[in-house]
Amino acid sequence: MSEDKAKEQNSIPTSKVERSARFVKTGFKVGGNYIKHYSKKLFNPGLDRTELNEDNAADIYESLSELKGSALKVAQMLSMDKNILPKAYTDKFSQSQYNAPPLSGPLIVQTFKKYFGKTPEQIYDKFDLRSNNAASIGQVHQAELNGEKLAVKIQYPGVGDSISSDLKLVKPFAFRLLGMSEKELEVYMQEVEERLLEETDYELEVRRSVEISKACSAVLQHTVFPRYYPALSSKRIITMSWIEGKHLKEFLQTNPSQELRNQIGQALWDFYNYQQHELRAVHADPHPGNFLITPDGQLGIIDFGCIKEMPEDFYYPFFSLTSTNLLDNKEETIKAFRKLEMILPNDTLQQIEFYYRTYHQMISLFAKPYMSASFDFSQTAFFDELYGFGEQISRMPEFKQARGVKHFIYVNRTNFGLYNILHELKAQVKTNTYKPHVQLTY
Amino acid sequence: MATTESIQTAYIDYVLTEGHEPKSVYLFAKNNDMTEEEFYRFFGSFEAVEQSVWADIVRKTVTEIKTQEVWPQYSARERALSFFYSFFELLKGSRSFAVYSFKKYARPIGTPRVLDSLKNIFESFADDILRDGLETGELTDRKFFTNKYKDALWMQFNFILKFWISDNSAGFEKTDEAIEKGINVTFDLFQRSPIDNLFDYGKFLVKNGGFKEKMGF
Repeated sequence: MSEDKAKEQNSIPTSKVERSARFVKTGFKVGGNYIKHYSKKLFNPGLDRTELNEDNAADIYESLSELKGSALKVAQMLSMDKNILPKAYTDKFSQSQYNAPPLSGPLIVQTFKKYFGKTPEQIYDKFDLRSNNAASIGQVHQAELNGEKLAVKIQYPGVGDSISSDLKLVKPFAFRLLGMSEKELEVYMQEVEERLLEETDYELEVRRSVEISKACSAVLQHTVFPRYYPALSSKRIITMSWIEGKHLKEFLQTNPSQELRNQIGQALWDFYNYQQHELRAVHADPHPGNFLITPDGQLGIIDFGCIKEMPEDFYYPFFSLTSTNLLDNKEETIKAFRKLEMILPNDTLQQIEFYYRTYHQMISLFAKPYMSASFDFSQTAFFDELYGFGEQISRMPEFKQARGVKHFIYVNRTNFGLYNILHELKAQVKTNTYKPHVQLTY
Repeated sequence: MATTESIQTAYIDYVLTEGHEPKSVYLFAKNNDMTEEEFYRFFGSFEAVEQSVWADIVRKTVTEIKTQEVWPQYSARERALSFFYSFFELLKGSRSFAVYSFKKYARPIGTPRVLDSLKNIFESFADDILRDGLETGELTDRKFFTNKYKDALWMQFNFILKFWISDNSAGFEKTDEAIEKGINVTFDLFQRSPIDNLFDYGKFLVKNGGFKEKMGF
């Protein structure tokens, strides 16, 4: 069978049994990779684990991409936290942000008939049945109406149903990769499940997209949002205007000037920090596939599926820590840590001291960009230090236990994701444009 | 003046309201202001009426999907998918009747007799798309098996119909999934697969002698 055929995958395994079987298969393959690795090592003791990791990542990715839906989403999430996974895993996982196999044309027609009573040809002047892009729980098609180019996002059927069962399947994987116990993971898995279920609600997504893009485009520069068409959208379909542009990787290949990279970086920084500190709800999916860079140097933001709202009792203690005024006050900092459950009520004095020191060090590092008026994200040293510290922590037995409130998952993912993109852009950014609101006593 | 449609409509209305078929053709004709003879001019029995309702839906499906602009660009696989989606979309409009009729004529093995006329139309449609698929090379021509492809599709049809009849999901979304998976699996089997290559390889080894001797047989 040809390469193409294999990619244009023709069925999503949706029943739990089928999906489990898929994971079991992966388990076998990964097991096989270990056997391969150790038998090679017999003859070549110097062999390092890079090849093994690459093999494993490829197999895991393969099975995840066949599963689509939430499993793919989890893959995207894991790929955001480069500090947690070895490089080979993340490289392979990053692919899932771009290519996932498409669904059959007739099913797309059927979906339209179900929600609008018409075929796509009857609704649009032009509709391309071949998908341009996978959007993890859906796929994107190009269309045209009244001379305007449109992007039409269509959701796979049965996605909502399979999310919970998918997450159950992913748990043992996550448990192994992150080295956490299942009980501790529960509260985080719930948070992930909630967000993922929200993502399957396209009506909610359209409402939020309209709200946020309106709020943002009123104040932000060099940022463009698609126009949404609620009348041509439904529970499983979103119609929006098409934004012409390049993905980050392609953009960087064109060797953009420092000035242009700064402009895009600044737009990203402002977009995120305006949302975090002014709207208190943030586009929590900063993977490169959600952004486009237009030919005239604007940042296009095309996916509002995942929005994280930040409650006050999380926002203040968390973002106030980015201010040295708080961080220099040990007593109040410990109080803030307690609020964020980074220090737990049962901790001994010794533990309090230990966690205070480690978290203090981590946050001082993480909040560096916030502590000056501008920051150069091209410095590899900063990122090496950040990842190095993350790695060091992941090896500490004290951090085998999960700590921190559930809001950390998405807020950390958002900010790490942002840092990573800015780093890839090698952008110099004015970081004092939208500053955190700080509260100094707790 | 009675027509095929008017008799169908009156009959469907009767069975769905009463839950059973009319006592006799005589009574049915009388209640609908026609003579018994007039009824027989269109149908030989009540079963024939039900058969025609099923057949009409499938006929309408085939006509409808062929008018789609994309139809000529569709592969055999996509044509089959398109047929199934459209058929069940149309059938949704007469679901009560479909469930009633299917259950009334259900048999432990095989298809209900009431689907006989539908089967003829389905098979000629299946023949068409399979022939096209074989011509373009999308499907593999296999000795002895090629003429069974049609039967495989018919089995899928039966399976999905049964699935749909007991589907409780909103908008029958599960049926959509059953179609997407079922038809794709069936067509995967119609295409060249590793089994073909294995068979081919086996033939090669046998033909190119020396194999048995070398293996020590």
